[in-house]
Amino acid sequence: MRGVGAVGGFLAGRVDRGGFLAQRAGVAGAAVLAVAALIALLAPLLIPADALDVTRVTDGAWQPPGPGHWLGTDHTGRSVALLMAQGTGTSLFVGLTAAVLAVGIGTLVGILSGHFGGLLAGALLRVTDFFLVLPALVLAIALSTVLPRGLGTIILAIGLTSWPSTARMVRAQTLTIEARPFVERARALGGGHTHVIGRHVLPSVVPLVLVNATLAVASAIVAESTLAFLGLGDPTRISWGAMLHQAQLHGAVPQRAWWFLLPPGLAIVVVVLAFTLVGRALEAVVTPKR
Amino acid sequence: MRLAGRFGGAALSLVMVAVLGFFLFRVVPGDPVVSMTRGRPTTAAMQAELRAQFGLDRPLPEQFWNYFTSLLQGDLGTSFTFRRPVADVILERLGPTLLLVGTATLIAVGLGLWLGVRAAWRRDSGFDRVTTGVSLTLWAVPTFWLGMLLMMVTGDLFPSRGMRDTDTAPDFVSQALDVGHHLVLPSVTLVAVVCAEYMLVMRSSLLEEMHAPYLTTARAKGLRDDVVRRRHAVPNAVLPAITLVFLRFGLVVAGAITTETVFSWPGLGLLFYDALTGPDYLLLQGLLVVTAGAVVVMNLLADLLHGVLDPRVKVV
Amino acid sequence: MILKVAIVQQIDSMNPFLAVFQSSTEIGRLMYDYLTAYTAADQTVTEGLANKWEPSPDKLTWTFTVPEGKKWSDGEPITARDVAFTYNLMLSDSVARTANGSFVTNFQDVTAPDDRTVVIRTKTPQVTMLALDVPIVPKHVWEKVSGIKDYANDQMPVVGSGPFVLTEHVAGQFIKLKANKNYWRGAAKFDELHFVYFQNSDAAVQALGKGEVDLVNRMAPAQFDSLDGKAGVTRNKAQGRRFTELMINPGAQTRTGEPIGDGNPALKDVRVRRAIAQAVDLDALVQRVNLGYAEKGSGLVPPVFGKWHWQPTEQEQRRFDPAAANAALDAAGFPRKADGTRFPLRLIGRAGRAYDEQASEYLKRSMGEIGIPLDVRLVSDNQLNEATTAATYDLAFSGWATNIDPDFILSLHTCAQRPGADGKGGTTDAYFCDETYDKLYAQQLSEFDEGKRVEIVKQMQARFYDQVPAVILSYENALEGYRSDHFATFTTQPAQGGVIMAQNGMWGYYGAEPAGRAVQAQGSRWVGLALGGAVIAVLVAVVVVMARRRNATAGERE
Repeated sequence: MRGVGAVGGFLAGRVDRGGFLAQRAGVAGAAVLAVAALIALLAPLLIPADALDVTRVTDGAWQPPGPGHWLGTDHTGRSVALLMAQGTGTSLFVGLTAAVLAVGIGTLVGILSGHFGGLLAGALLRVTDFFLVLPALVLAIALSTVLPRGLGTIILAIGLTSWPSTARMVRAQTLTIEARPFVERARALGGGHTHVIGRHVLPSVVPLVLVNATLAVASAIVAESTLAFLGLGDPTRISWGAMLHQAQLHGAVPQRAWWFLLPPGLAIVVVVLAFTLVGRALEAVVTPKR
Repeated sequence: MRLAGRFGGAALSLVMVAVLGFFLFRVVPGDPVVSMTRGRPTTAAMQAELRAQFGLDRPLPEQFWNYFTSLLQGDLGTSFTFRRPVADVILERLGPTLLLVGTATLIAVGLGLWLGVRAAWRRDSGFDRVTTGVSLTLWAVPTFWLGMLLMMVTGDLFPSRGMRDTDTAPDFVSQALDVGHHLVLPSVTLVAVVCAEYMLVMRSSLLEEMHAPYLTTARAKGLRDDVVRRRHAVPNAVLPAITLVFLRFGLVVAGAITTETVFSWPGLGLLFYDALTGPDYLLLQGLLVVTAGAVVVMNLLADLLHGVLDPRVKVV
Repeated sequence: MILKVAIVQQIDSMNPFLAVFQSSTEIGRLMYDYLTAYTAADQTVTEGLANKWEPSPDKLTWTFTVPEGKKWSDGEPITARDVAFTYNLMLSDSVARTANGSFVTNFQDVTAPDDRTVVIRTKTPQVTMLALDVPIVPKHVWEKVSGIKDYANDQMPVVGSGPFVLTEHVAGQFIKLKANKNYWRGAAKFDELHFVYFQNSDAAVQALGKGEVDLVNRMAPAQFDSLDGKAGVTRNKAQGRRFTELMINPGAQTRTGEPIGDGNPALKDVRVRRAIAQAVDLDALVQRVNLGYAEKGSGLVPPVFGKWHWQPTEQEQRRFDPAAANAALDAAGFPRKADGTRFPLRLIGRAGRAYDEQASEYLKRSMGEIGIPLDVRLVSDNQLNEATTAATYDLAFSGWATNIDPDFILSLHTCAQRPGADGKGGTTDAYFCDETYDKLYAQQLSEFDEGKRVEIVKQMQARFYDQVPAVILSYENALEGYRSDHFATFTTQPAQGGVIMAQNGMWGYYGAEPAGRAVQAQGSRWVGLALGGAVIAVLVAVVVVMARRRNATAGERE
């Protein structure tokens, strides 16, 4: 699993303010994502159930692109183009939910350890550091091996292993904010924990969390495809990663069936890149100019 | 004081890794012995014998105690698959992984840092746009997919598996050339992904540094642009980048798993994948403990190194 | 001349007493002969280390003769004492029974009164005495081994009696064997046999296409098809030893009759099980999932073991007929509810096994048509075993590789194989327990007239088919391919439509004949070496440049 720190600048507190170019790339990324979302939403409505049911397809297996199936067919004779469309939803869904889970845990842990001092903060920080250094993919693989197969497991495995960098960042931001005079004033005026967190800390971390979440989606989609490729995904669902797993399982490379190997990988690259570009553009917007 | 804290923290992390490794793989339902003997003439007595051989017939706390005490002596238990000590199995796969990861990291660090410096220095130039764009794209590429593509595209140019052929002449030169030939595709795959991350890290690190007032001073001194970059900005920016490289050691581990799987490279990553298919829980547990342990130690080293190299960070 | 074989499965151990994986057993067969062997032509019993055998009239004592003149690979003579040593080691040391213990459970004692004679006394008459798949090890090597459990058997070259001698094993990379010049049938026609480890069969098939390996098996149908017409490659579509089944939980019980697991109670009714079996379109599965590379399933013994194989007669045959299945379910008291369903069932299969992933789609549809909504769960191997052992399944995919003697596969379905009261110690396959079947099982076990035994075995399979604790779905073909430009012929077992790898013997490798003009030394090797050299050169150049840059920087320092 890739750290989001490289494409954003936060992890080390570094900021790349991007500039005009990054904004334009961000807009392009957003447009790509809009298209992907549209496909994901429409695919289940527009694709007839029979078309993806291996028991009902009529096309031959391993057909190269041609009329009727313009991206060719897979090992069962299903249209790769339709599989791609159907898989968009799963890949986006896993990416989004896993990212929300990761960023949610990260934000919670970050604010708690930043706001409250003492033993709790120490313990949380210890745990964060522990998970930060663990190789996330190894842990995610381990989790998906021992839990029952399914989308839930994949989401859990990715979410539970990729929150620490968010926690680190949110904690730093929380500490910065709480050191500001207006927070101290609020405390002096009798603001409780809820008040301080709710009114001051949370609003100030939200933009950063948002950026982080966008980048986390990108990393989660790659992680999902890796887990699916290793055969740890939900085999009853179509996702881009699962398609690549099938391609390998059924011999797409010796068949030279490039039409079954290229599209899922390219789709992952394009969508992940789009999330990254949007993330960078958002980062440039929310980071205060110095 | 801080030094002691660092060591204490690392030690605590190692203990946590050990505990996690045990519980993650022991609380799962299922009887590994049934998996092992599937499809063979097996009697219940034979299964019981296997269970006893692997200590699986003991209560969980006792298993944990045995595991923990033997771990302290470097004993990671016996692999279900290979019927040999896990530590031995891991040790003999270490060499190929070090070769692959070492080669790839060396190239990736060199290339990544160099590109990062160039891109940051000529920010928003054509070079910057292209390298940053390529890096961002590579960052988005799933490692295993890149490997499969390379394999399909290169056709017969490179071997499709492993580290060496079985019928290569035994002399050193032939063997080295053979290994080099096998090494090309896996290392290119690994370099592509890792290098992208290093390039981006180096670029942002240097951009940060370029705002520093001392650079303006240096320029005001009348030093050539090139000299300012090489002697002032880069050395300061490289340090955090290198530290980050160490901190991202986990990324390399992950890349190794998928790359080795695609190319049947006989290292730890492939072993990890093989252990998954069993699944060989004791081997998985051993691999988790070893890789996570290695990452913890790498981080400690990076921390210490950082303190030694950068006078601004006080370790002691 | 080297024969290079691709293997995908791991090697667990080279110690024949511990090795349980199919791949290790196969290599073990090349290193060690058994007491008896099976011919390549028709799989009948033939000379192994022993060339004569004789049971006593009460069938309790068997006398085997080990002829003079057979030698271990180190030149020592092979004697009856080696055989007795091996069996006694297994009788006295439970660790030595790890891999092949099932063959000696009924042994009373084993003695060698002289160098030529082995006497085995059994507790009860045993029909499988000529099917003892136990590698015989050299006494002069193994009597020095102190602990079987920790012995890796890696003192190269490993002394053996088989056609090949193990000379090198690098875990996860390759295994090298040399032809045994002392082999009593005569040395093989080529010098070395290399097993090269592949992570997946995809890579292995590619390597075969490039000529990096000479022999590949266990191909997926699509991979097999991809080699069609490839120059220098010959394909071998063989009858396999494996079958795939769909288990139907018949109301699992322990040996003591306690219910176990949570199978749907409706499945206790044999009429329901029959209806389910009738609704499965076996032909469609063979055509669409196996892509035609399989035979339609019927009895427990695959057709490759000709005489033991059973086919239903016209009357016994259950034809694919969803309408009849629907009617049968109505009659059995499971009418369709308002929503059109009768009762839901769970189907559990193994994730990552191509067959399960695809066949489950077909079953979902077939069951849907008889009003049974199917909840498909594909899980890891371990979780699948857990579910089948604990009987927490309704329907489940399973499969077995069978041996020449059908005893083991038949034994899996006897009542005694079910777990004890604590739910442990069972080796049952499908929780089948049937009085008629058990009676027949006991009968065949003491029937020494082979013709009669074959009849009983067929009756058992008919009973199994009728009671349907499992539907035998298909007998998969073994799909193999080899470089016919390197090796002209391989010995298959059986001679007609047989396999090269995974035989009940070593004939496939042993009988390989190199092609007249060996073209193994390829020109592309030079390209490879040049590329390897270039890579190393680039690496060195990078290091040198970096070092020089460092020096240059140091020189400019103020």
